[in-house]
Amino acid sequence: MSKMVGLWNWIDKRLPVQRAWDTHMGKYYAPKNFNFWYFFGVLSLLVLVNQLVTGIWLTMNYVPSPDDAFRSVEYIMRDVEYGWLLRYLHSTGASAFFVVVYLHMFRGLMYGSYKAPRELVWIFGMTIYVVLMAEAFLGYVLPWGQMSYWGAQVIVSLFGAIPVVGEDLVQWIRGDYLISGITLNRFFALHVVALPIVLLALVVLHILALHEVGSNNPDGIDIKANKDENGIPKDGVPFHPYYTVHDLTGIAVFLFVFCFIVFFFPEMGGFFLEHPNFEEANNLMTPEHIAPVWYFTPFYAILRAITVDVGPLDSRFLGLMAMGAAIAVLFVLPWLDRSPVRSMRYKGMFSRVALIVFVSAFVILGYLGVQPSTAGRTALAQICTLIYFAYFIGMPFWTTREKTSPVPDRVQKKGLPLRLTLGGLALFAVLVVVPIAAVGAGAPSCGDVPCDVMKTDPRNKDSLQRGAKWYMNYCMGCHSVKFSRYERVADDLDIPHDLMRDNMIFSTHRIGERMEISMSTQDGAAWFGVAPPDLSLVARSRSPEWLYTYLRNFYRDDSRPFGVNNRVFSNVGMPHAMLELQGLLECGAGPERDQRGNVVRDGAGNPVIDENCGNLVEGAISGSMSQDEFDQVTYDLVNFLAYVAEPYKVDRQRIGIYVLLFILVFFVFAYLLNREYWKDIH
Amino acid sequence: MSNDAVNVTRRRVLTAATAVVGAVGAVGAAVPFVGSWNPSARARAAGAPVRVNISRMEPGEMVTVEWRGRPVYIVRRTREALATLEQIEDRLRDPESEVPQQPEYARNRHRSIREEYLILLGLCTHFGCAPTFRPDVGAQDLGGDSWLGGFFCACHGSRFDMAGRVFRGVPAPTNLEVPPHAYEGDGLVIIGVDQEV
Repeated sequence: MSKMVGLWNWIDKRLPVQRAWDTHMGKYYAPKNFNFWYFFGVLSLLVLVNQLVTGIWLTMNYVPSPDDAFRSVEYIMRDVEYGWLLRYLHSTGASAFFVVVYLHMFRGLMYGSYKAPRELVWIFGMTIYVVLMAEAFLGYVLPWGQMSYWGAQVIVSLFGAIPVVGEDLVQWIRGDYLISGITLNRFFALHVVALPIVLLALVVLHILALHEVGSNNPDGIDIKANKDENGIPKDGVPFHPYYTVHDLTGIAVFLFVFCFIVFFFPEMGGFFLEHPNFEEANNLMTPEHIAPVWYFTPFYAILRAITVDVGPLDSRFLGLMAMGAAIAVLFVLPWLDRSPVRSMRYKGMFSRVALIVFVSAFVILGYLGVQPSTAGRTALAQICTLIYFAYFIGMPFWTTREKTSPVPDRVQKKGLPLRLTLGGLALFAVLVVVPIAAVGAGAPSCGDVPCDVMKTDPRNKDSLQRGAKWYMNYCMGCHSVKFSRYERVADDLDIPHDLMRDNMIFSTHRIGERMEISMSTQDGAAWFGVAPPDLSLVARSRSPEWLYTYLRNFYRDDSRPFGVNNRVFSNVGMPHAMLELQGLLECGAGPERDQRGNVVRDGAGNPVIDENCGNLVEGAISGSMSQDEFDQVTYDLVNFLAYVAEPYKVDRQRIGIYVLLFILVFFVFAYLLNREYWKDIH
Repeated sequence: MSNDAVNVTRRRVLTAATAVVGAVGAVGAAVPFVGSWNPSARARAAGAPVRVNISRMEPGEMVTVEWRGRPVYIVRRTREALATLEQIEDRLRDPESEVPQQPEYARNRHRSIREEYLILLGLCTHFGCAPTFRPDVGAQDLGGDSWLGGFFCACHGSRFDMAGRVFRGVPAPTNLEVPPHAYEGDGLVIIGVDQEV
């Protein structure tokens, strides 16, 4: 033992380990009245570590080239052991990073943490936020899906709005005449090497600056003004152990929510991983609706809200300026707030309402940025943009005029009365929900018809086996499933290897190989106009409901090359592959539908009848199956496609349950430990 | 803060318990990171067992096949070559194949399942060069009359007999490795799968 002490002394004489520990942990006195909002600093550090570690592991298998990037991501998701988990941790972590950073920033706004002497802390924090946005954008390009590509196209084109140098600048950023492999390679270098180094340096500066001036608190009181005889703030507790054990409980709760998303909702309904990004980048076709990932959408909405030209400046340039200004104005916030107090607890009612209105406008902008624009939505975005800027421009005026409450000498246990807090929350909810409801959103539809309902079941092996059989018989002649391997399908679906080899593998492929087809892309394009796409991920880029509806809605149309058309995907270049089973439906009279798939009604409330093709009816060619039998075939087929799009789904959910249970256990211990340490702190 | 109220034991127990649960969590969290370094499905598919049709091999013939990116020699030995295995045992380093360089079912004088067919990993146990097959008895460059056929590694001069057993006085320390293999019917050998007993 004394040898260990000796070694410790030897090191400490040469490296200020003890001093660093005391400065930042053991003798760093933090206000004892931190509340819920003070977890998000440490949580962003936790997410940063997660991003770094999972990111390093992803680079071990990711290939930054336009030919291989998309394939290598699917390789990670399917072929690398636990690769799906590493990627979902990274993709969910990106969104989680912004969630905690936004909440962290809101805390700063609420309690005036940016005010003197913490201006530098705020500026370093804002710089982290800007670098983080760059990092997130660059990272989103790497999987090389459709959204990666077209998102990069739009964002890089933004620089083209700069007068005179714009277009040259865009070309310089791309290094090519379009977003290409050259762009991808430099984005990769920036994403995995350059920006992480900058981020880490900024985080160090952020924390050093904070620990120099000391943490703010919900009361905005300077705890260093009240010290005891030993020079220790009376309202302070040493960060370690008090806030380490305190943060552990917060970390446990965060991890529970985080892992719940990772294991059960990794796409988060298309907000964390957008559906079109499951389709490989195609420089000749933009997806129908493109939107940035949710954390950029408030600024994207501001960009789109500017629709007027002012003198020689066009709306495109002004939009860019507005977007830049929306971020830049946050940097000077410490000098806009002239209030004598820091915290909302002691500011006037005007400040409080203004903050709620501002945050509501920000959230509405975020919502609008996701939606396709309509006249109503654009108007709402313009109003919210005005509110956004009015908040900052007006702040110097109302903060100097409004009446503030006296700030106590010592920190308080209680914040604002509960009714005020709840009232604020209610106001926020109303301010967000009402305007959004006014500009309305449509129900999802499948082309010209409403989507049929179907629910996939990855545990129904019988259905999946039948689906695999139908796929091999009716689809695989033209459509590969090139990211999937025969062996895995056999193992997952309980199909014996020799049965698989004899009945399902038509070519000379070995069972471990990927499910590719012999038709080349060129031949496919020559025969069908467009090469039949690979279907490995179609259930994720479309949706199972869309596929199910699509396969049931072929009808006779003699004007088309194959004599058939489709109500879900009009003028599709695909023949009715299962015609012999279903027969050939023909157009008949049926209720007319609007663009959202709702039945159009006349003044009396009766459905308007579309004589042309409101409904599909049985035609001259009938199939070998009844309608019910054919629906079952379609269901099994789509179920199989959903399985093949995410073959590890069952594993993911099974592991997820254990992970969540474990985190619960950890939470109990962390909670007890925290309670033990804090029971005497009042 | 009143120090008297602090229950040191309780704090220690709770700290230890939380640390243990946390450590379990850390180990669990390490599983995907460690696991992802195992051979992927692609690597496993590329390294899958190889089937070789040996029904058309002539006595004395050798073929080389690739398994997991490494050369595997398959030799159909002649009666004469098999007869030499006993004669030279006093000149070998490990004539009984005591070093586990072969599956149990190939631990015999001819180091194979079927006497005639020898299946070897074609990498010298010295520093991994691929030895050449030299069945020519009495080859002048390999010592004339004393050479009864076998494998010779040109890199550092190691010599092996017709069963891949290493001679004494050469740099290679052990016999050539026999990979796991199994027969399916008469003429098909699968390299990479163990023979079922």
